[in-house]
Amino acid sequence: MKTASPNSLIARGLIIVLMIITLLPFLSMLSAALAPQGTYPNGLQWPSDPQWSNFVRAFEVARMDQLLLSSTLIVMGVVPLSVLIATMAGYGLAKLTSNKYKWLYLVFVFGLTLPFEAVITPLYYEVRALGLLNTRFAIILPLIGLYMPFSVYWMRAHFLNVPHDLTEAAQLDGATRWKEFWLVQVPLARPAIMSLTILLFLWTWNQFLLPVVLVQDPMQRTMAGALGAFQGQWGTDIPLLCAGSLLILAPTVALFLVFQRQFVAALMQGAVKG
Amino acid sequence: MTDITTSLPDAQPERVRLPPSRGSRKTRMAAWLFVAPAFIAYAAFVLAPLCMSIYYSLLRWDGIGEAQFYGLSNYVTVLTDSDLLQIIGNAFQLVLYFTLIPVLLGLAVAAAIRSHMAGRFGTITRTVLFLPQVIPLVAAGIAWSWMFASTGLVNQTLKAIGLSSWARGWLGDFVWALPAVGIIGAWVLLGLCTMLLVTGITKIDPSLYEAARLDGARPWHEFRYITLPGLRQEIGVCITVTVIAALASFDIVYISTQGGPGITTTVPGLEIYRLAFAHRQVGLASALAIVLMVLVLISIAPVQWFTRDKK
Amino acid sequence: MSGLTLRSVRKNYGDVPVIKGVDLDIAHGEFVVFVGPSGCGKSTLLRMIAGLEDITSGEVSIGDRVVNEIEPRDRGVAMVFQSYALYPHMSVYDNVGFGLKLAGTPKAVRDAKIRDAAKVLQMEHLLDRRPAQLSGGQRQRVAIGRAIVREPDVFLFDEPLSNLDAALRGDMRMELARLHNDLGATMIYVTHDQIEAMTLADKIVVLDGGVVQQVGSPLELYNNPANLFVAGFIGSPKMNLLELTSRPEGNVSSAELSAGLALNRGALAGTSLTLGLRPHDLRVAPNGPLNGQVRLVERLGNETILRVSLADTTEITAVLPGQDEFAIGQTVAFDFKPSSALVFDENGRRLPSPG
Repeated sequence: MKTASPNSLIARGLIIVLMIITLLPFLSMLSAALAPQGTYPNGLQWPSDPQWSNFVRAFEVARMDQLLLSSTLIVMGVVPLSVLIATMAGYGLAKLTSNKYKWLYLVFVFGLTLPFEAVITPLYYEVRALGLLNTRFAIILPLIGLYMPFSVYWMRAHFLNVPHDLTEAAQLDGATRWKEFWLVQVPLARPAIMSLTILLFLWTWNQFLLPVVLVQDPMQRTMAGALGAFQGQWGTDIPLLCAGSLLILAPTVALFLVFQRQFVAALMQGAVKG
Repeated sequence: MTDITTSLPDAQPERVRLPPSRGSRKTRMAAWLFVAPAFIAYAAFVLAPLCMSIYYSLLRWDGIGEAQFYGLSNYVTVLTDSDLLQIIGNAFQLVLYFTLIPVLLGLAVAAAIRSHMAGRFGTITRTVLFLPQVIPLVAAGIAWSWMFASTGLVNQTLKAIGLSSWARGWLGDFVWALPAVGIIGAWVLLGLCTMLLVTGITKIDPSLYEAARLDGARPWHEFRYITLPGLRQEIGVCITVTVIAALASFDIVYISTQGGPGITTTVPGLEIYRLAFAHRQVGLASALAIVLMVLVLISIAPVQWFTRDKK
Repeated sequence: MSGLTLRSVRKNYGDVPVIKGVDLDIAHGEFVVFVGPSGCGKSTLLRMIAGLEDITSGEVSIGDRVVNEIEPRDRGVAMVFQSYALYPHMSVYDNVGFGLKLAGTPKAVRDAKIRDAAKVLQMEHLLDRRPAQLSGGQRQRVAIGRAIVREPDVFLFDEPLSNLDAALRGDMRMELARLHNDLGATMIYVTHDQIEAMTLADKIVVLDGGVVQQVGSPLELYNNPANLFVAGFIGSPKMNLLELTSRPEGNVSSAELSAGLALNRGALAGTSLTLGLRPHDLRVAPNGPLNGQVRLVERLGNETILRVSLADTTEITAVLPGQDEFAIGQTVAFDFKPSSALVFDENGRRLPSPG
């Protein structure tokens, strides 16, 4: 490490202030979550008698076990399939098409800046027509489609960087396109696939608009969607609301802390490429 | 024989200049098969709904009964109705908070630190600053609703430093609700922008700063002529991400204010939801949706234009 | 047994022709080198044989089978790439055996073949490593091993040595020659380096501008280049090329030069000609027709290379045996055997040798 110049002291100070600002809302929620039931706690004040049992109650009231299951099912429905078909399309667009088919890629890229709100109304009628309203499929199927612009863009960018010689070597080694894809390209794409998986997991787990519009029953929703319903129901019970919110955001935060390096890399690249 | 000519300078393979031809029929077939599943999903749940949105936007329809063709009247309403204009204006006001605060603070930190954050301090910083990116926006909304509540931390702090008269129910205040929502978005995006800019600045060759100092540059000059141009791409990324987050915001507003008080914090995303599902004005909701999409596109285009690597 | 035939093969990229009609016959077991400057179309031609580029028109046959529409994997060819193109995620063993695995070769047979190839290439100790852990020369061996195990009818090499340093390149050159001897397979080799071409080839195909300039054995090309391009390209150091004008009265450029030359001047009167003299064919002769000042001396021990500027400022190169001393600025004169001089007409075509 370099010796600390005055500049870097200022920088450290600034960063520490930013970190405090980032953490304060969490601490404030924690202090409120530990206040006795039905009271109006103060912003940040360690309660004299921390009520850890609030978390137990919130767990039961929010039916956290069911929520975890529901969110997990949705993630399992969305992420593997999205990653698979986006990887295939990224490979197809980067390695198999000539410039004549650039328009196909541009059609995908067009969706990159599309706000979900722009299609949520017709999605409602479409999902209703499919008879999927109020099921997890109402969230799963549209999300797969909505993730395609970013995912395809992401995987294509990766495959463009794989030397074309490898494809040709595989061709001469006797590989069909399908075998080349699975035996050569996918193993080499592991880092890109890993990052995409993390991003899609986060975005699915935290998805709010689709569950709110398409699924009434909180038990069929994502975590974020369920949190919306939880707030609607218990919004006035601050300790319970804060305890529930902390519980609901705990799984992703825990995963994030474990896979900190991968998450940070994925989020940064995701922003840059998106 | 001597080996003088063995290292001719033209060692690159000549095909690099020319696009590899992949025109064979079988390859084209394979390409379609690989792209088809993604394209079908995309067409079914993005392209088709988008076309339907455009179609709905030309109708007067309550979502249940007969629809009437309504021409461009819905668009006229979106662009003339004072409430809807205010709602669109709200989104652009949010851009000020969502974009300016994270980018300016991030630049300040980056310019001050100007080196890689290594070691444990770097890891902790990254972890903490990325936390808001990992949690649902809804949770950020709830956390800050509590921060801004009458007994929340913001008022508590104001009282503690003797500014009790400033204390208020921030999210219920006609003047302060929108800035408060803006602060929530800024909080969410701050860490991401800071880290992007700090990472970006480490890629600037430090000898540029040394050269500038030898040329007599002041710190401001260094910032203006080295840091800013060197970070052009990263700044572009931050602006793009934050502008989209502001214009297409929904989660935070829905949770923290429900668009109130009045319509002071209502944003297009929330209004589309209300119009389509509460007020059953599907046509108008769709017109607003299309306008929102176009607004995002034309807000992002110049940013992309200015920050792309010019070749 | 598999030879290879190209019949009026053409290739366009859009409207740009890059191969302008190539006819070529390659016998089974021949080592053929495509040589030419960057952009001459030699790699494109190789890739068309491999099936990696479409053929715009014409016919490519391997053995007696037209392969235009046949997928690369079914053509019975193996290719060694300039970049080696090893699969980074596989061990050397798996890289070499990948083609066999795809072909469904039983594991025991596969293993035996991989180990045989490794023995031939002396890389048995590398089998467990990943490509990233290998040096350039080792990677090259793996790439060759991957080609060998497939027992192809035709081996294709696309500038395989150009990423290696000079010393290693020399070693690998010898090794490739030995390999060709041992395997007896047809090999087609692309390079821009005429020394690789001269040392390896049974037959050299010189390409320029998408057109075959000449086909022949190395010595044929060296001794009897068909045109200026081939003359300038083959041989090291490069042939000296001197502009002359044939005059009706029988002089060629200067009285001194014409002394050595008996051209068929009647037909060529007034045309501009080019005289080609190999540096090795110049001999120091106090009254020789070519004289000038020494500009540069390179002493290689076994021979001495002189760069000499003539009276009209053209520079020529001479390679002299031994270690005679020359000083920069010194005047020196050369002559040559008339039979070693080559003459080209104004279109660059070779004329019958004088003398």
